[in-house]
Amino acid sequence: MVGAQPLPGPEEPEAALAAVVALRRLASRLEVAAVVEAITQGWTWAQVGEALGISAQAAHKKFASEVRARRGR
Amino acid sequence: MGFINAARDMRTIKQLLTAAEAEARSCGEQTPGPEHLLLASTALPDGTAARALERVGLDPRRLRTAIEEAHAGALASVGIDVEPRPDGTSGLRSPATGAFRSTPQAQQVFQEAVSLSKSTKPSLLRGAHVVAAVCSLEHGTASRALAALGVDRGRLRETACDEVGIR
Repeated sequence: MVGAQPLPGPEEPEAALAAVVALRRLASRLEVAAVVEAITQGWTWAQVGEALGISAQAAHKKFASEVRARRGR
Repeated sequence: MGFINAARDMRTIKQLLTAAEAEARSCGEQTPGPEHLLLASTALPDGTAARALERVGLDPRRLRTAIEEAHAGALASVGIDVEPRPDGTSGLRSPATGAFRSTPQAQQVFQEAVSLSKSTKPSLLRGAHVVAAVCSLEHGTASRALAALGVDRGRLRETACDEVGIR
């Protein structure tokens, strides 16, 4: 969670940009784990897409193979 | 370059890029960056990348952890506390599909490594060429991980070049 710690200021672009890279990476991991969990719980690709703000087709294209791999199918 | 050397070069390139892709996917990333090329270079059978790292006092096995720690440190700087997980548990499990894609910086590293390899005899791509090329990058995860390990990029580049006979 983001706490009371101040964000790296604009005077520290190296640290701020590194944080952006790490946040993207973390978000990507969280996204995949959350989609796998949602599909496992019976969500449709349309519901997943709606929650992520993308189309059902885009959600399926992006995550279906990973869902299959993690569910062992 | 003769046919045999050309075939050997193609095999090395395939090994390097496949390993870089696997490194990226094992930590949950779709697209390999310079840090994944660096990790992949240490696994190439010519051994020059690992030797260059060892000559500047760095155990190549510490690289993967240092990369995870660099990301964890960056997250800590914005108040997010995560355990570095270099064990591959958060990796992608589906196989990579389609054409090989990498970040622009990884492409730059690869092109520089190939260019360096053309200046050596035999003009075959070796791991130390990749290490030297990664050292050209001033910013990004690879340079931050190397800095955290106390590695001077300039010295590592010189050592990597020396390893493959570039003076």
